[in-house]
Amino acid sequence: MPRLNRFTIRIHTGEKGLSGPVQCKFNGHVLPLENVSGGTGSDEVYEGSFSPLSFIHGFTLVGPPAGEWNIRRVDLSYDAEGMGPYEISLGEVTLDETTELNLWKEKPLPLFDV
Amino acid sequence: MGFLDSVKKVFGLGREELPYRKDWTVEEQEYPRPPPAAPPPPMQAAPRITSRRVIEAPVLGNGATEPESAGNGAVKIKAQPSRSGLECTFLVNRPIFAGHSWAFSGAEAASGWPLAEELFALGDEIVSLVFHDTTLTVKSRNKRPDDWLALARRVGDVIRRKIESGGPLVSERALAAMPSEEEIKKQIQEVIEKEINPGVASHEGRVTLLGVKGNTVSIHMGGGCQGCSSAAYTLKMGIEGSFRRAVPFLGLVLDETDHAAGVNPYFR
Repeated sequence: MPRLNRFTIRIHTGEKGLSGPVQCKFNGHVLPLENVSGGTGSDEVYEGSFSPLSFIHGFTLVGPPAGEWNIRRVDLSYDAEGMGPYEISLGEVTLDETTELNLWKEKPLPLFDV
Repeated sequence: MGFLDSVKKVFGLGREELPYRKDWTVEEQEYPRPPPAAPPPPMQAAPRITSRRVIEAPVLGNGATEPESAGNGAVKIKAQPSRSGLECTFLVNRPIFAGHSWAFSGAEAASGWPLAEELFALGDEIVSLVFHDTTLTVKSRNKRPDDWLALARRVGDVIRRKIESGGPLVSERALAAMPSEEEIKKQIQEVIEKEINPGVASHEGRVTLLGVKGNTVSIHMGGGCQGCSSAAYTLKMGIEGSFRRAVPFLGLVLDETDHAAGVNPYFR
């Protein structure tokens, strides 16, 4: 697992929003996100960032304590050691009180036509 | 002072005893006593540790080639070297071995398989091959991810030429002798119950057959096997070998276990 220097997360909420705070868990610890803007209401976009400066073993977005949170799209910008900066986009998913979303994806492998 | 007195002084001998004074008394002092401790609070139930299920969302725009029905349009091939550079996967928009998989450990194992024979003829660079439905994985030696371009183009040319020629890509003899999914399922289940699970039970592990597609077997490694650092070794050196001895036409054995899932995989 590489050392994650910094990440930015942008969450596009769908129909069902989240009323509580956004909780991103890094290696089991909830991170205090910085530079937070926007919201997690229906059709709102939330953005935050953090510099963990630590080796990544698990990075998740925690579902709401009750009810459902419909996420249309998650855009992530990563700066991981040995990989350089890169971006990943995740598609639609719905979280609830029993689930959390895996946010960590390694830099996509190069793909070329032959 | 004589010598004897000096010795007595050094060793403390002949010390005069202090007179006992009867008027000495020990004064008893009253020290403030600490207030009685409050009764311990009633025992409360410890907070229940709940583990959430980690789920995945689809990754958008990974650019992989979508398979097309055979015979339509041009043959499109994309190459994707692995992170280590040791292997490269070719994603083809046509089936290489439709619905089935096959692993070739070397050129000798490719005898009778037209596409594999031609690929191994490209040179010593190719160590092993895997056919799986519409993908083909080539393992090479001493390569980094950036070194693949030249060999990938040669492999791509061979795949395209063989597909466009319309000839067979795989061994027709192997296809004819391929057992049905039901037969494979029955034999694999028997191996798991009689051979595998009694073996891994000493580590509180258990192996479950998830399904058979073509000749590709999917399993789940649970209990002590889930999250174990030796799971991959157990799969390759133990489980897969036992399966192959029982089912000679077996394709890939895929471990679909999420080894990182749970609060404390392996130790539970």
